[in-house]
Amino acid sequence: MHKKIIPAALCLMLSCSAQADGEKIAVFTKNLTNPLFASIRAGADNAAKQMNATTQHYVPTKPDSIPEQMSAIEDVVVKKPDAIVFIPVDSKAMVPGVNKINAANIPVVNINDRAAGGKFVSFIGGDDYELGLATARFLLKTMGGKGNVVIIEGVKGASTNQDRIRGFKKALEESAGVKLLATQTGNYQRLQALQVMENLMQTFPQIDGVLSANDAMATGVIEALAAANRKALVIGVNGTGIDEVKQGKLLATGDYAGFQQGCLGAMAAIRHLRKLPVPAELLFPPILITQANVASFEVPMDKRVCPKWEEIVKK
Amino acid sequence: MSFALSKPGRFIGALTADLKTIAYRLAAAMVICVILTFASDAFLTTNNLLNVLRQASLLFLLASGLTLVILTAGLDLSVGANIGLSACIAASVMKLSGSALLGAASGVGVGMCIGVANGLLVALMRMPPFIATYGMLWVVHGITFWYMAGTTIYGFPSAFRALGSGYFLGVPIPVYLMFVFLTLGAFFAQRTTYGQEIYAIGANRESARLSGVPIARRLILVYTVSGAMAGLASLVFLARMNSAEGDIGEAFTLPAIAAVLIGGTSLFGGVGTVSGTLVGALILTLVLNGMNLLTLDASWQPLVTGVIVILAVFLDTLTRKRAEARK
Repeated sequence: MHKKIIPAALCLMLSCSAQADGEKIAVFTKNLTNPLFASIRAGADNAAKQMNATTQHYVPTKPDSIPEQMSAIEDVVVKKPDAIVFIPVDSKAMVPGVNKINAANIPVVNINDRAAGGKFVSFIGGDDYELGLATARFLLKTMGGKGNVVIIEGVKGASTNQDRIRGFKKALEESAGVKLLATQTGNYQRLQALQVMENLMQTFPQIDGVLSANDAMATGVIEALAAANRKALVIGVNGTGIDEVKQGKLLATGDYAGFQQGCLGAMAAIRHLRKLPVPAELLFPPILITQANVASFEVPMDKRVCPKWEEIVKK
Repeated sequence: MSFALSKPGRFIGALTADLKTIAYRLAAAMVICVILTFASDAFLTTNNLLNVLRQASLLFLLASGLTLVILTAGLDLSVGANIGLSACIAASVMKLSGSALLGAASGVGVGMCIGVANGLLVALMRMPPFIATYGMLWVVHGITFWYMAGTTIYGFPSAFRALGSGYFLGVPIPVYLMFVFLTLGAFFAQRTTYGQEIYAIGANRESARLSGVPIARRLILVYTVSGAMAGLASLVFLARMNSAEGDIGEAFTLPAIAAVLIGGTSLFGGVGTVSGTLVGALILTLVLNGMNLLTLDASWQPLVTGVIVILAVFLDTLTRKRAEARK
């Protein structure tokens, strides 16, 4: 008789606590090097703290390593956290990993970079196309709709890069007075972007604007321009070049709202566990950081506080 | 030092073979230059040539130390990670102390310490260089990522930045650095007993040991030099980029090894030159420069890079194969 009651009581207690608080959330990000993921992790931590849950982070030591994230998934499936907040290191290659999480019946929220398959409670992220489009439009408007520009691409084949470049090119189509001189790749790397810009300046005596697919490359471009004593308006994407915007070196950066993505990802996971409604998809509208609003983005990461769920998710 | 090679005739033969190799690689570089001269008006200008030299200098500084390691039939896979950590430490010391000199010294110092650690693992623990330095790569990356935690350090004094972006008599400062270390490296490798001992270790370790070469000490020396050069390269990087973050080193390791090997140094040791490595670094830099000047579609760039690298060493290996067949 007693033997039956004890497990039943235990079950009751466990399920109770799972609905109240103390949930364990596993958070998967791509690497330790990109500041975007640092802000996503900080957002997830802050949201979990607000809601009395805990987070555990899984980050590949080799940046964006597919096998490492895959083996982390295998670990997690055994450890069984209450829910997972997941950014695939590769949108297609990680689908089998998502299938493993689904098979283990652990609810998973996909944030930032959309996985190409698998079942998710929700997708929360920014839209790279809109981000590229809005940032490029701002540059072209500031240039007065005329002049010469170059595009510095990220890693060829990365979905973030493809979508941002598509956004850039759409904005260029709308602006007939602007001439696209060249599209070259800096592979999302600072030094390569610097060298590519140095080389492009040899060929093109007049470059008025530079569209860079991320902020790291944009800072490389800025250094190349400064060293050559030339001037051009530069835009980037990621919202990491805040100091450069403040100093007037970077015209604008399209913000990925990484901290908020982390917040809402963790909140969505916890809300799902607490049987509260969660939308199937939540896309952040692009935010432009310019000299006009840069001050509000300067709060250090550990001082930022997640927005309330209801402020972002309108009914 | 009473070290002598067993057959002086073969030594001279080896030198001329080295010269021949450099001549072939230089010819390959010249072919690229001639093609680019016709293809782009912007290529053969003083500005662009100085631009190419400046871009090659960072890669050369890194690859020159590595050349000595590879000459001993060793390998240093940690050079890229080394640049990352050295740059980040130099940057934060410079920020904290406000002294460019202290920052620079700590950058080179960190690089050198990593080199010494590699040397001890390889020479005293007798670990295979690939594994020892591959392990070191992860240790150093790990420390860097932990230390930086995704942050960026930027904004350095202009006196320091001159090291990367300054000019003297119209020529970029890193280009002077490159030629200073080319001269030092070539002199060290070809004209000193140390250099000859390094070649001897790579050519035949056992006979070098029997002729009294202190193998362990020379191995520690070459890995230390390689580490220190990575530290120095990290300073040029910092001065050029004006910023440091955790992941800057990753892109460097393979191009540095490639520059050494394209320059004619053998992975099996004993054969190669520091000046060959300069030509290797120039070829790799010219490829990127050319593709940018011609605004080649980014999708084709990896393929074109690969084909040119293979073609650059093709003629040399072909003639060498014929010569061996004739023997």
